This record gives sequence, C-alpha cells and structure tokens, in this order.
Amino acid sequence: MKAFTLAIALLVSTIAFAQVPSVKVENSKGESFDTKTIVESGKPTIVSFWSTSCKPCIRELDAIYDALPDWKEEADFNVVAVSTDDSRLLAKARSFAEGRGWGEDYILLFDKNQDFMRAMNVSQVPHVFVLDGKGKIVYSHTSYLPGNEIELFEAVKKCR
Amino acid sequence: MKKLLFIFCILSIPFSLEAEKKDWGRVSASLESLNHVYVDDATNGFLPVTSGDPKYNYLRGSRYASNNYLKVDYYKGRLSAGLQLEGYFPTTIGYPISESMLSLSNLYVSWTDNDYSVSAGTFYEQLGSGLLFRSWEDRALGLNNAILGARATYKFRDIFAVRVFGGVPRMGKVGTGVYNTQISKTPVFGLGLTKTALAAADASVSLSDCFGWSNLLLSVEGSFLYKYEKMSEYLLSEGFKTHNTGFSGRVNLDYDGFYFKGEYVGAGIQDYISMYPRKANAQLLELGYNAGGLGVSLSARRLDSMNQKIYTCAPDGFVVIDYYNPSVNVLSYCPALCTQHTYMLANLTPYVPLTDGEAGGQIDAFYNFRRGSKIGGKRGMKVHANFSTYFSLNQDGGMKGGNMRMWDLSIDVEKQWTKKFKTTLMYSAQEHDRGQMGSVLTDAGVIEQELHIGQSHTVVADLLYKWTSKFSTRLELQYLTSKDYQKDWMAALLEVSLAPHWSVFASDMYNHGGSKMHYYNAGLSYSMRWLRVAAGYGRYRAGFICSGGVCREIPAYTGANITLTATF
Repeated sequence: MKAFTLAIALLVSTIAFAQVPSVKVENSKGESFDTKTIVESGKPTIVSFWSTSCKPCIRELDAIYDALPDWKEEADFNVVAVSTDDSRLLAKARSFAEGRGWGEDYILLFDKNQDFMRAMNVSQVPHVFVLDGKGKIVYSHTSYLPGNEIELFEAVKKCR
Repeated sequence: MKKLLFIFCILSIPFSLEAEKKDWGRVSASLESLNHVYVDDATNGFLPVTSGDPKYNYLRGSRYASNNYLKVDYYKGRLSAGLQLEGYFPTTIGYPISESMLSLSNLYVSWTDNDYSVSAGTFYEQLGSGLLFRSWEDRALGLNNAILGARATYKFRDIFAVRVFGGVPRMGKVGTGVYNTQISKTPVFGLGLTKTALAAADASVSLSDCFGWSNLLLSVEGSFLYKYEKMSEYLLSEGFKTHNTGFSGRVNLDYDGFYFKGEYVGAGIQDYISMYPRKANAQLLELGYNAGGLGVSLSARRLDSMNQKIYTCAPDGFVVIDYYNPSVNVLSYCPALCTQHTYMLANLTPYVPLTDGEAGGQIDAFYNFRRGSKIGGKRGMKVHANFSTYFSLNQDGGMKGGNMRMWDLSIDVEKQWTKKFKTTLMYSAQEHDRGQMGSVLTDAGVIEQELHIGQSHTVVADLLYKWTSKFSTRLELQYLTSKDYQKDWMAALLEVSLAPHWSVFASDMYNHGGSKMHYYNAGLSYSMRWLRVAAGYGRYRAGFICSGGVCREIPAYTGANITLTATF
C-alpha cells in the first residue's frame, strides 16, 4: 500500500499544470486563429479574458493600455485580449475594442462559443494569465481591482 | 507517514515542474461553488419554508442551497480528455433543476492535429451565429445543452474547412418540482439525455485565400442540420415532423476596416408554442467599420417561428412547454441584439426576444478621442452610443402586426480626469411594450408584474478615485424617472478596494415612486491568484437574469450568498 501511495504521489507530482491548448478562435478580421500560436513569438504574454458586459474586465484592459508605454520600456512582451462575447455581442466587441484603441497594442481574439475559455478552465471573467516565453502559465488571477495590474507586471518581469 | 509523504508530493508539484524530464501531460481544473442561505422576508414576499408554496418543496424545509461545478481537463500532446462533475445540494431557487444530485455531466476525449481533429463524448458546438444551432453552457442561467456524441473537423490550408458532428443533447432540466412534473427524475448520465438526436455538417471556403487576395477577405459558409424528434400522434396529425432538416448560408467580407456579414437560416418546421407548424427562418445582417479609434457596427435581424427547442423530452413524447424557464432545452440561439445594461436601474427590464416573430436591430458607435486632442485632453475620452429597436411580426400572443416592442437609446462617456480620478456618465431612455415577454407572458402574470413596462429615463454617474496605487473607491449614483408602472427609482453603490486581495461593497436600490421597497445588498470578496471567495447579503428583486441574451426568471429572495471560484 505504501509503495502504491508513493507511486501515485510521484506520478501526480510529475504532471505539470496547464499550458495553452490548441483551440480555434477568431482574430479581429474574423479569420480562424489557433490559440497555440499565441506563444510562438517566444515573448512573455499576458492573456486577458474579457467581455463587453464585464466592467472590471474593461477597467483591467484599460489600466494595462495606459501603463503599456512605461511597461514596454522595462520588458518585451505581448498582450492578448480574448473576448468571450458570443454572437450576440461579437460585432459590438470588435467595435468596442477599436473604440478604446486596444487594437493598436493588443492582439485581439474572439472566442464566440467560449471554447478557449473552457479549455483554460476560466469560470468567470476577468481572468488573466501570464505565460512565459515557452508558453508555461506562471501567473493566473480571477477578478480585477484597481492596482492589480502592478502584481501582473511583476509576474511579467519575472519571466525574463 | 504515508499521508505526510503524499501531501509532501502534492505540495511539491509546482517545484517539480522545472525539473520534469518526462512529459506526463498537463492537468487543468476549475471549481465553482455558489451557496445560498435563505431568510424569511415578508416584505419581499419571500417565505420559502413557512409559506408552503409548492415551488419551494424541493428545499425540504432547508434554508440552504448549493450549486457546484468541478471541471478537470488533461492534455498530453495532441490528446485531451476531461470531465465535469455537478453537485446540487439542492439547487438555488429558480434554477431549472430542482433536485439534490451529484452527477458526472460531461466526459470527453479528443485528438487535435494540425489539420484535423476528432472527439467523442460531450462537446459544445455552434453553427454560424448560432441561429440554426448552438450548444453551450451558462451556469448563471442553469443552461447546458451539451451534445453527447462524436465530432470530426478537417481543414485544407486556410482555404477550406469542414466539421461534422452528431449526438444527443443533454436534458436542460431535471426535477419533480411544480414546473417539472413531466421530466424523468432518474437520469443515468449527467442530467439525463433528451429523446432528440442531431446530425450536422458545416463547411467554409475562404475565397480570398483561394485566390490570394491580400486586402480583401471574403468567405462563404454553409451548414446543414438534421434533427430527429419523437413526436406524439397529435403533433404528427397537426403537421409536425419526426425528421426535420435545417440549413444556414453565410457570407463574410472584410476590406480595409469595413466588414459585412450576412446569414440566412431555414430551421425546418417549428413553433410548438402556437401549435401551428410553420417553416422557421431567420436573417441576420451585420455591417461595420473599425479603424482609427472609431468603431461602428449595425446589426439587423428578423426571426420567424424560431422556437427551436426540444419539447419532446417527456417520457410520453408529448410537448413540454416551460414558460417559466425559457432558457431550457434550446437549440437555436436567438439573443437580444441590443445593449446589455450593467447598471442596476438601466437593467430593470432586460429585453427578451420574441422568437415567434420579430424584426429589428441596433447600431453602436464607439469613439476614442485620443490623448492630446482638443476634446480628449491629456488623457483621452471614450464615447459610446447605442440605439436599438424591435417590432413584432405576427398577430400571435396579443401583439398587433408591426407593433414596436421596445426601443433603447443609450449614451455613455468615460473620462480620465487625473491619474487618480475617472468618471463614467451614462444616460439611457427605454420604452418596453406590455407584451414584451411574448409567449412567456401568456401564462405568467407574475413575470409581467415584475417588469418595468412603459417609458423610462435613467442617468448614472460612476466615479472612481484611486487614493493610492492599490487603494480605491468607486461610487455609483443612479436615478430612473418614469410616469409608468413603478414610477421613480434611485440607487447607489459604494465599493472600496484594496488591491490585490480585498474588496467591500454596499448598495441600495429604492423604488420611492411606487412600492417603497429597498433592495439592499452588501458584501466582500477576497482574491488571491487562483482563488476568489465572495460573500454577500441582500434582498433581491424578482425578475429575469439574462446572460448572453438568454433569460431565465428568478424569484425574489432574501438571504446570504457565498461564491467560491478556483482555477488550478
């Protein structure tokens, strides 16, 4: 029994936590986009799940957008904003993101049937991940309070 | 000792990742738990235990309800597998399921290669915009119409893609409550399966990739849906069909910021609500322009007899119509294409589409006055406006043909004044027709009473002040004025946040023009990395909870709630 317990425990201890699964979403032009390519640049990446009806999500992405010029001086990384709006709000989400200027600095993805959201086990938005250059999740956070972006950027800087 | 060793190994997981030599795969999991404790509140008309109201019988005298979801996924290379456990002990009030149960609701295995994928078990799918078919999960609504079956996809470069799938939809509700008497109460898998079977195929061709156009994106798509439903003799004699087919044709165009999307859906013979078999069809048009900080989108849609639901889930194959849970057993996704308001008073009457027959649309405009511009000032300013309106098509349900059912004009302006101070001002004018709930209303006077019918004007001021980089307060002040129904309302919310962990809030919504009722609410939340816990206490108004445009009635209740969310 002891050996069995030890074997199970060692097996579990060698299983890594999730990285980015391969899921088909849409880019800002409506083309198919494979999520596993998010980390192909080899740079650390912030992945933020948001929706147009989620005010904390919008506050978080705005806060990142405002801080981005300063952050980019300290670290080289990408920001991916994944809209979880379904077909009801999909067109609006595209216009919304453009109307906030996010399209200039973010990679905008649209997950209209929440396939990527499910694959990343996101239950509620906002939910943000930081992936290192190899695509491993090094930081994950649900909800947003003003100031949370400081902790987020600390996680990005640790990826170097 | 063994336990200690086991715990040590579990705790060592994060540290072992760096040193791993062999790829055993990866595990991802999430846990969500929503718990209610109910309190008698005669003022709110909520006496779940003492009133003897049969709709609360399933609580069996308890004041506690709990909805729980555990989802686990395993990935190894191109292989993935997963499951979902759902536990209801029993369900929170108003939920479509009214039984205590623990069940394995989703189970799947999937192989995803570069150009193809195959999966078996439960899965979610969508054809086009979902008008023809959508399966998805929305826990807030209690909606989960996952398909148990098989699916395969294939793509040839970026030019051609095809999907085929088939299976049986999961049952949308289970229980023996007052509204659930015709549903089996002993499901064997998940929450049980319906007696409906589906098969579908979807293909898309990118003409721009085919011909090498770089600036113009043009694609055409088509879907086919076959549906088998067990029918009663009565329905067959009325002209409904056991074997039904539907299709969808779509065109997508994008050129230099402009986009166009058109979709035509023929959903076969539908409409059990009116009990007259009709050929269901829908048309959707989306036009827009997104570039240079400007985003404009126009959506127009016409629905005719799009009541595509699974009604034959009763053991005798007869029709089950659930006016109280319009989200149950849906196959078509016909959301409300209008602003989904998030401020309390602007959302007193969420719009529920009349799938029997309606036409309408909305236009949105977003603009970002850039930093340094004359209007934008030092920190920029964001403006958004929306107008939406819908008309009924049919005489059914007490509506006159061509009647306007609703209109909504909303404008909001966001301005960051200083590094610390930000304001959002919102104005919304709305008018809702008495028959807005359409078929849902015909048998549900309770629902009608809770809607704010008529014309209203709402103003909201949302003020955020960051005292330090981590300490902030947010104040919402709202006022609704109306000459109709419950007349004027006022509301306020104060939220104090200490990042990255703590947040406390208190709010009150007061109908000073009519019922004189206060709907108070207070709570706090704690978040740390993968975990969030929130607790609150309040009096909640009856009405509709709407998510993604699909709505469910929620009864009034008073009590405490504790929500736990964890992602591993």
